[in-house]
Amino acid sequence: MEVFGPNPRRELEIRRYPFLVYALVPLVALVLQAWLPRVLGRYAWFDLPLVITVYFALGRRSPIQGTLMGSAMGLFEDALSNHAIGVNGIAKTIVGFLAASVGVRIDVENHTIRLILNFLLSLLSGAIYVFIYRILLGLDLEWRWFTELFKAVGNSIIALVLFPLLDRLQIRD
Amino acid sequence: MDSFFIRYRNLLVLLVILVAQIIGLAVQVRRTDAGHVSLDPQDGPGVRLIRLWANAVVTPPERMMHSSKLGLGNLWQNYLDLRHVSEQNQDLQKTVDRLRLEQAEMLEDARQGQRLQALLDFQQKYVYKTLAAQAIGSSGSDQSRVFYLDKGSAEGLQRDMAVITPDGIVGKVREVFPHTAQVLVINDQTSGAGVILETTRIRGILRGNAAGQPQIVGLMADQRIQPGEKVFTAGGDQIFPRGLPVGVVEKVVRDPERDSFVDVIIKPAAHIDRLDEVLVITQALPTMPPQQQQDLATSEALKGGEAATIKDQKKASEIMAERLPGLTEPNAPAAQPAAAAGTQPGQAQGQAAPAAPATPATPKLLHAQHADRFSPGSAQEAPPETRTTEPKSRFDAKPLPGPRELPGPRMPQKREQTAPAGTTKGQPAPKAGHPAGQTATPRRNP
Repeated sequence: MEVFGPNPRRELEIRRYPFLVYALVPLVALVLQAWLPRVLGRYAWFDLPLVITVYFALGRRSPIQGTLMGSAMGLFEDALSNHAIGVNGIAKTIVGFLAASVGVRIDVENHTIRLILNFLLSLLSGAIYVFIYRILLGLDLEWRWFTELFKAVGNSIIALVLFPLLDRLQIRD
Repeated sequence: MDSFFIRYRNLLVLLVILVAQIIGLAVQVRRTDAGHVSLDPQDGPGVRLIRLWANAVVTPPERMMHSSKLGLGNLWQNYLDLRHVSEQNQDLQKTVDRLRLEQAEMLEDARQGQRLQALLDFQQKYVYKTLAAQAIGSSGSDQSRVFYLDKGSAEGLQRDMAVITPDGIVGKVREVFPHTAQVLVINDQTSGAGVILETTRIRGILRGNAAGQPQIVGLMADQRIQPGEKVFTAGGDQIFPRGLPVGVVEKVVRDPERDSFVDVIIKPAAHIDRLDEVLVITQALPTMPPQQQQDLATSEALKGGEAATIKDQKKASEIMAERLPGLTEPNAPAAQPAAAAGTQPGQAQGQAAPAAPATPATPKLLHAQHADRFSPGSAQEAPPETRTTEPKSRFDAKPLPGPRELPGPRMPQKREQTAPAGTTKGQPAPKAGHPAGQTATPRRNP
């Protein structure tokens, strides 16, 4: 059966989740991202919507779904800020697409790969954000690279803990 | 053709979504007259609708989490963590006693301050109508330093209202939704507030930097600006009232883009990183408590009484001056040496008029064009029988006041004290230094 399929490995490893997980997990991530910085102050070095986008993109292995998920999460984040709507949207759209595209070709169960992927995609998201804001829009934005670095590290650590927990929510045959 | 779309559908979907978002971004930015690109400070209807939806989705869970956090905190503090409460209670009782004494002293000082303030006609607005609100969420991004309040337009909030705490200013209301409001904090890069340094009186604009620190930007390098100096709102931005604490100067750094300019980093007075309760200034008109209004009214009444007294005195002086129009030489020198008059002003009858300084310059008698026996200086030449004759009318017997007898502001009181026998009430009476017996020898003007 695996031999005759057009892409047997991909067919086997596509994860499915209950509808509530698709709806609630991103929502909880958005709410926590909006609420936790009030508790942690300036030490809120993480981006939960990005982590969730990467998780679902890797798990579903569908670039279209990853693109849509990233776009929705980014636009939501933009809507809660005082910045232009679309900056985070574009950044996370690209991240979702890339994560899903990479997920087709690699083993997403490996923790090291998850760690590295989250770190790199977080940096990429920050870079796209700054590029759009300063180059594309021509707006003034002061930017500190080490904050983005801390955020990438934070995202990687959170992903390391969160991904196994979310794996338990998938539908198993 | 179909195979093309199927083969590249992932990329096509990505491109479509990216292009749509780029177009959306282009709609939101605008180019100013000076050529700079900036975000539209007021969101368009579409953008506002998106923000409203996002807010409506995120706010209820945030509100619930905030309430549960408060509930858990209260449960812990009020029921579980009660160690050392008795000792704390005793310490607090002592503190309360001490504060009561201090309060009594400060209350008196405050009343005095209000009276002085009213007398100096300072109409500064130190008391406002405020609305307490809870901070329930943030943007979640360190590039966008905004947070959300649990009150909105339904509770009377509007855009550009100032948000403060008792420690200092926090920010301004940027966007208002029905039951929530977005507050732009002073350490955001797009914020702006007019501030003034306490001692050097240097004014500047406060905004945030990348590190989330509020800073005064675009100041000329000045050695007088030192760490520790307090910063207050300047009141010129139409948002923050004047005189509210902002923070203290933490350090002064060179502007990386302009050599002769510095950026003054401020340590905010309010704990803007961890805010729970804030006050929104909903009305900038003074609304003092009844006791303060009463104190203010009292001071106003006192001020009005003093002003009325001074006005009456001036009016009496003017009336008396009008009654003696011919005795004042318009071109006469302003002051006459006291020795020339032969008497010392204010010495006669031992009464020194308190209002003597308000008395005009010593008048000189003018030459009469058609002298008669009533003319000043002709009394000695009059026949003796004439001098003893009773006056025909009350005007005839009017003893002319001496050259130093111009009425002062307290003239009516003096008249009662010095009115000689035979003078009629209502007439100008001989004044201090010129009793009735001396008025027969007025001094002529040379």
